[in-house]
Amino acid sequence: MAAANESITKDMFLPAELDQSANEKISGEVVSVWKDAFRRFVQNKGAVASLIIVIAIVLMALIGPHLNNYGPTDQDLNRSNLPPRIAALSWLPFFSGKEDGIDVYQQHGIKKDFWFGTDQLGRDLWSRTWDGTQISLIIALIATLVDVFIGVTYGGISGYFGGRTDNILQRILEIISGIPSLVWIILLILVMKPGLIPITIAIMATNWIAMARIVRGEMLKLKNQEFVLASTSLGASHSRIIFKHMIPNSLGMIIINTMFSIPSAIFFEAFLSFIGLGIREPQASLGSLINSGYEVLQLHPYQTVYPGLVICLLLIAFNLIGNGLRDAFDPKLRH
Amino acid sequence: MGRYVLKRLGYMCVTFYVVITLTFLSMKLLPGTPFQNPKLSPVQINQLKHYYGLDQPVAVQYVKYLWNLLHGDMGGSFQFGNESVSTLLMAKFPVSMDLGLEAIILGTIFGILLGIIAGLHRGKVLDWGTMVFSVLGISIPSFIFAGVLQYFLGVYVQLFPVAGWNGPSSHVLPVISLAVGVLAEVALFMRTEMVEVINQDYIVTAQAKGLSRAAIVYKHAIRNALIPVVTILGPLTAAIITGSLVIESIFGIPGIGSQYVSSITTNDYPMIMGTTELYAGLFILSIFVVDILYGIIDPRIRVSGGRA
Amino acid sequence: MSKLLEINDLHVQFNLIGRRVQAVRGVSLDLNVGETLAIVGESGSGKSVTSKAIMGLIPNPPGEIAKGSISFEGKDLVQYSEKQMQKIRGKEISMIFQDPMTALNPTMKIGKQIMESLIKHQGMSKHDARERAIELLKLVGIPKPEKRVDEYPHQFSGGMRQRVVIAIALACNPKILIADEPTTALDVTIQAQILDLMRDLQKKTGTAIILITHDLGVVANIAQRVAVMYGGKIVETGTLDELFYHPKHPYTWGLLASMPKLHAKTDKLLAIPGTPPDLSDPPKGCPFAARCPHAMNVCTTHMPEYTELSATQKAACWLLDERAPKVAPPETIGVGGTNND
Repeated sequence: MAAANESITKDMFLPAELDQSANEKISGEVVSVWKDAFRRFVQNKGAVASLIIVIAIVLMALIGPHLNNYGPTDQDLNRSNLPPRIAALSWLPFFSGKEDGIDVYQQHGIKKDFWFGTDQLGRDLWSRTWDGTQISLIIALIATLVDVFIGVTYGGISGYFGGRTDNILQRILEIISGIPSLVWIILLILVMKPGLIPITIAIMATNWIAMARIVRGEMLKLKNQEFVLASTSLGASHSRIIFKHMIPNSLGMIIINTMFSIPSAIFFEAFLSFIGLGIREPQASLGSLINSGYEVLQLHPYQTVYPGLVICLLLIAFNLIGNGLRDAFDPKLRH
Repeated sequence: MGRYVLKRLGYMCVTFYVVITLTFLSMKLLPGTPFQNPKLSPVQINQLKHYYGLDQPVAVQYVKYLWNLLHGDMGGSFQFGNESVSTLLMAKFPVSMDLGLEAIILGTIFGILLGIIAGLHRGKVLDWGTMVFSVLGISIPSFIFAGVLQYFLGVYVQLFPVAGWNGPSSHVLPVISLAVGVLAEVALFMRTEMVEVINQDYIVTAQAKGLSRAAIVYKHAIRNALIPVVTILGPLTAAIITGSLVIESIFGIPGIGSQYVSSITTNDYPMIMGTTELYAGLFILSIFVVDILYGIIDPRIRVSGGRA
Repeated sequence: MSKLLEINDLHVQFNLIGRRVQAVRGVSLDLNVGETLAIVGESGSGKSVTSKAIMGLIPNPPGEIAKGSISFEGKDLVQYSEKQMQKIRGKEISMIFQDPMTALNPTMKIGKQIMESLIKHQGMSKHDARERAIELLKLVGIPKPEKRVDEYPHQFSGGMRQRVVIAIALACNPKILIADEPTTALDVTIQAQILDLMRDLQKKTGTAIILITHDLGVVANIAQRVAVMYGGKIVETGTLDELFYHPKHPYTWGLLASMPKLHAKTDKLLAIPGTPPDLSDPPKGCPFAARCPHAMNVCTTHMPEYTELSATQKAACWLLDERAPKVAPPETIGVGGTNND
């Protein structure tokens, strides 16, 4: 103690020149909610990897069918049920073109490679898988976009205007959501006959409900927050409040829910193909490919593996992106 | 509480009525009639229409349809020589019920256990493993999972029967395939609830009382975390029904799920409508039961007589 | 020797990712049997962490008691195992919390929540514990306790819930009651009732109280001694009169000046400019230096030692050094009312 005291000299007792303004400065840079969310999302390795996987699959769905010379619907019974073969990778058992130790290509005298093999009708599964991915993604995308539109409108009106409007809309919603989506989808497709558009309509007919609920909840929450009340009391119009305050502030929740809608749509499309209400031959979707693969699963498992792998990757990736976005936007986790 | 039950009961009835009406309307809207056989002459078709009452005004048909339904008469199946749809459904229902219940019980119990363990070890290996498992379980469709199990454990290792529904060993694969999604969903939900509950002030109060960790987890945390889990049992029933269609088809289980799929492929409309109504009824009933159950176990609702 | 609790050079830190927050940096305190000690400071000053440390409720990880001792009746609680602490908590030392709305388990009957610690610590039968719970509810002023013992927290108002929380804390006649901002979340009229209740109960039971608060009005109402905390340290401590009438530390001046007064001449509320220091990178010198209107060069480089001003009052400030210029406390700190009302 004495030593410490010695180091303290008289001149140190002069008033310090302290910059008082330095005190008021906010430590740390100011980050907007979006920038903050983006930063959190990027830190989430699983979500970023998933995003890359989704982008890769989308790219393959677009260019994949054009990477070889076989059309997705070209049939040739001479080359039916060929296992996958990639010349450069033929040392790998799954790309050797052999099945149960027999070189099927040699047996049939086929020189060319089929990367994912062929199906019972000799159609190239590489082209069909990516073509099917394309169809599945288109269905999911359209269904989700329309869902978002309907859900946001319905939930927005219900939550923003509240009162009697809200009461009536909520009662209707309660009844609609009491009916399992399976019932909606099957009835709708039966009436419209299976096909790309009916499937899309059927899927979007049920998915909007969750979105409507979430948007309504957000609206109710935001409506009573000070900044919206302040804006209202300053005489802002409905449209200004909706577009300047409500939508930007609930966009996070909308985006998160959208991300969870996409895998649900992909799943339902595949499910419908599975129960015979899906895309009709010769068109393919991931679901219909898996379904026809199952017919020969015990003999030629490779016919199911690739479309199955693509659909699993897509669903897992979308779910992880959704989780990543939720964590990124969740204010509860922000410090 | 009485008012609450009555309100839910009201919703249940209205929803079911809407489903029945929708089914009726879609039957009317179906492209083509059941009598499209070109061998039938117009006279014969008219006779048939008269026989089935299809020449009457739609309103009359509707009332008749409701009346018949009220007596459990859902018409005759096209596939099975006009045999009564309700009889067919009743015969196959127990098998599907078995499968569904086994899956939901297995999935819920293990899901809750896994969720509790993960929630208590937040950020540790166990938690991480549960999360990975849950994401996979939620993402991967049950029909893919069923295929993988069937191929490896059925065809490859031949540990369990590939198909059928006789004896406990034949239950293993389909029940697991169906239960995985439920398990993953429940585990994830339970984990979130546990983490949330553990950070509540009343847990600190319990600690400050000097209770042991086990007592806090058991008496305060788990009970509070379990209550909201009841709410996802409704949606899970829907998932089980959806899943049972494909699982029953894949494993060749003689229940209403595989029956439904085959009636779709054969355009057996009365059968489709009957099954649809049965599924809707089951789902609506399960939502009702869940609502009431929630009211019973959460004192906040029990006493005030309704959700705020 | 009437020292019930002696805290010596307590250091508590939280090891977060990439940084270490030193929430409590060398706190020494003592508490006598049956007295009320108030720990005052703004949020982040380390007062709540100190109280949690006494209870052994610092979540570990990330928190840990890095140094120091907390001796209760001569036994060092820092060295106690979790099992041993469980026998202290709720029995010898108990705690009431800020927000009565969340401090009670919403799905458990009030009575059961009180009975829990009675059964655990005093080995009572269910029946006896229930009788005692009803007695406690009566003691904390809840009408019709026989009926309300079977009710759930949401059936009680905020003030009533805080009474229940107090009943839980007092169930086993603890020697020390730590009250962490017990009235902050309540309406002003209810605040007074709760403070009255605490004072009454203290008279009846002789429990020593550590009151954690930022509200000097509450302090004046109930405390005998006061410790002022800032930046993880105690900057000044003394009896109520000493602190209110002869404060020596500029931070205490600032706190007193910022109290709104009924008959104040100005219509401005006086605030202390600036924000508390970042405790993941604590200042080398006096933590208050950056905000202190009288700061000297030495304040930013060296932490001042305590200067004993009386047997009961001491303060850590370089202004009390003989080499420092004489600074008079600002006039605005006059106390509005007296503390003996």
